[in-house]
Amino acid sequence: MSLIDSVMAGLALVGNWEAFLSLAIGVVIGVVGGAIPGISATMAVALALPFTFPMAPINGILLLLGVYKGGIFGGSIPAILIKTPGTPASSATILDGHPMAERGEAGRALGMALWASCTADFVSNLALIFFAGFLASFALSFGPPEFFALILFSLTIIAGVSGESLLRGALSALLGLLLATIGLDLVYGTNRFTFGDPNLMGGLNFIAVLIGLFAIPEVINMVWHPTGHMGKVQKLGSKWVTFVEYKRCFRSIIRGSFIGVFLGSIPGIGAAPAAFLSYSEARRKSPNKANFGKGEIEGVAASEAGNNGVAGATLIPLLALGVPGDVITAIIIGAFMVHGLQPGPMMFIMNVDIIYGLFIGLILSSGILFVVGGLAIRGFRPVADIPKRILMPMVLVLCIYGVFAVNNNIFDVGVMFVMGGVGFAMGRYHIPPAPFLIAFILGPLLEDNFRQSMLMSGGSPDILLRGPITWVFWALTVLAIVTIARGTLNAAREGN
Amino acid sequence: MQVQLGIGAIVAALFLILYAIPNWVSSPSNVRNIVLSPLFWPYILAGLTAFVGVGLMFSARGAHSEDGPVNPPIEDPGKGALRLVAMAALMVVTFLVMPWLGMVWTSMLAFVALAFLVKTRHPVAAVICAVVVPLVLYAFFAHVASVAIPQGELVRLP
Repeated sequence: MSLIDSVMAGLALVGNWEAFLSLAIGVVIGVVGGAIPGISATMAVALALPFTFPMAPINGILLLLGVYKGGIFGGSIPAILIKTPGTPASSATILDGHPMAERGEAGRALGMALWASCTADFVSNLALIFFAGFLASFALSFGPPEFFALILFSLTIIAGVSGESLLRGALSALLGLLLATIGLDLVYGTNRFTFGDPNLMGGLNFIAVLIGLFAIPEVINMVWHPTGHMGKVQKLGSKWVTFVEYKRCFRSIIRGSFIGVFLGSIPGIGAAPAAFLSYSEARRKSPNKANFGKGEIEGVAASEAGNNGVAGATLIPLLALGVPGDVITAIIIGAFMVHGLQPGPMMFIMNVDIIYGLFIGLILSSGILFVVGGLAIRGFRPVADIPKRILMPMVLVLCIYGVFAVNNNIFDVGVMFVMGGVGFAMGRYHIPPAPFLIAFILGPLLEDNFRQSMLMSGGSPDILLRGPITWVFWALTVLAIVTIARGTLNAAREGN
Repeated sequence: MQVQLGIGAIVAALFLILYAIPNWVSSPSNVRNIVLSPLFWPYILAGLTAFVGVGLMFSARGAHSEDGPVNPPIEDPGKGALRLVAMAALMVVTFLVMPWLGMVWTSMLAFVALAFLVKTRHPVAAVICAVVVPLVLYAFFAHVASVAIPQGELVRLP
């Protein structure tokens, strides 16, 4: 199929009001969800997922992508107005956004956040369109040993950079991998930790685990500390961002977008490190570096460009390799699976219309985000006034219905509650949940590719190093471990 | 905290290696190659967990106690713990009662119970939402998404 044919097939899928409406509703849900402290973009995507079950696959996935993109921007609104990031990715936005809000320039900061977000989002989407197909065609030559090395590399990065230490991240990933062993064995069909219960034979439901890990702990946190969310909302002020200011910050926005694209395309790094790196680069290069941290609009632009630059790029490993780039894309992979689609290189051959439909939808989403974001900035006060102690019971009920709806099974609701307790305990011990979830998703794939490799080689481990692709992934894995371990040791030495 | 984590990881790994995997993972007797056995992967993961546990304990040994991450304090930790116990009970009761009472009615009760557990300042709004939200979700999932929402044995909805 030629490029034109593929684009036309994509247009045929998304060139209707249902697809457009799904995307727009997704962006609205994302912006509102991201703007409510405690409802992160991750939770918003997880809660929206069950509502996509009755939709056409392309519309359901577009809705979730809209929630993702809206959620990342939405997180900047409370970061600036109440000094509480709506999503972890917005933490860097606080550094200059909130001082601006305290000076009565919240409207200006939010305007710049929106312009920078939409620009970075657009750049990120273009990167996805240009690189995903190329990477997918390259990945078609991957066999089980290559996929095993790739997944191991992804898990190493995710474990290393998600939390406060490599060891905590590794522990989280190992727990996720162990949980993924529950169910019937992939080769022999024998029981592993099933206790004879048919509910456990297919393994734990992925959506129950993810909602349990990412939504229920927020509810339990609210129970633990019911007044922890209180904050003072700053006024928008009369000043608004001007095109001259946008032009002055444009270089930082583009630099931040590329930082976001680069870090987002590496599985596991995510938006928060991209935002901080973009911010620190902008401070290093800016003529106004002395103003950074005191309310410099370029700081807001750089951090927002960094975190939104990730949004499209995290889809590159998801679509091209079938490996989720971060937690949100791990949830979106669930939407693909629910609709009977398997992201990865073969999708570029079997479902090229969906791929191009998604590309077109993503380009549209930048424009929709610009409109919805502008309205959300002005309408934030009612969102901020939603009583969180009513919102959290609502989240609980949504979770119950959503998790049940996946398999029509009350057992999954129990799994969700248990995982909620696990997620809360992990939070108290500062064990990052992202490696747990991604390892839980990739665990069967990792084991399956390992065992297929062993079957191919008659049990010889040499096959795991059979060619240049595996060498590169193994070298990157070792390099990542050494770099992260050295960084941790240096930080510990500086602390002492 | 890091030492506790390390000990926990080692204990969990030992439990897996010595008891859980031998008893709860079954393997056919004719597996020719150990790496293809259903037991191989769980043992590897349990061994790595023990290794990480040892690493956590070693890394905690040289660090100062104030170096580790700290959870933000709350005003009433005793009452907070009680609320957590009540939340755990709420989740257990919700799970057990749902097949008998039905998802809609159970959700309504769970909503109200949770709203009052976190001491909502809007009790009337909470009760209204507790009735409306489960009904709206029921309407969506049962009539739009065609999900067979459990009706329970007491009152059935259309």
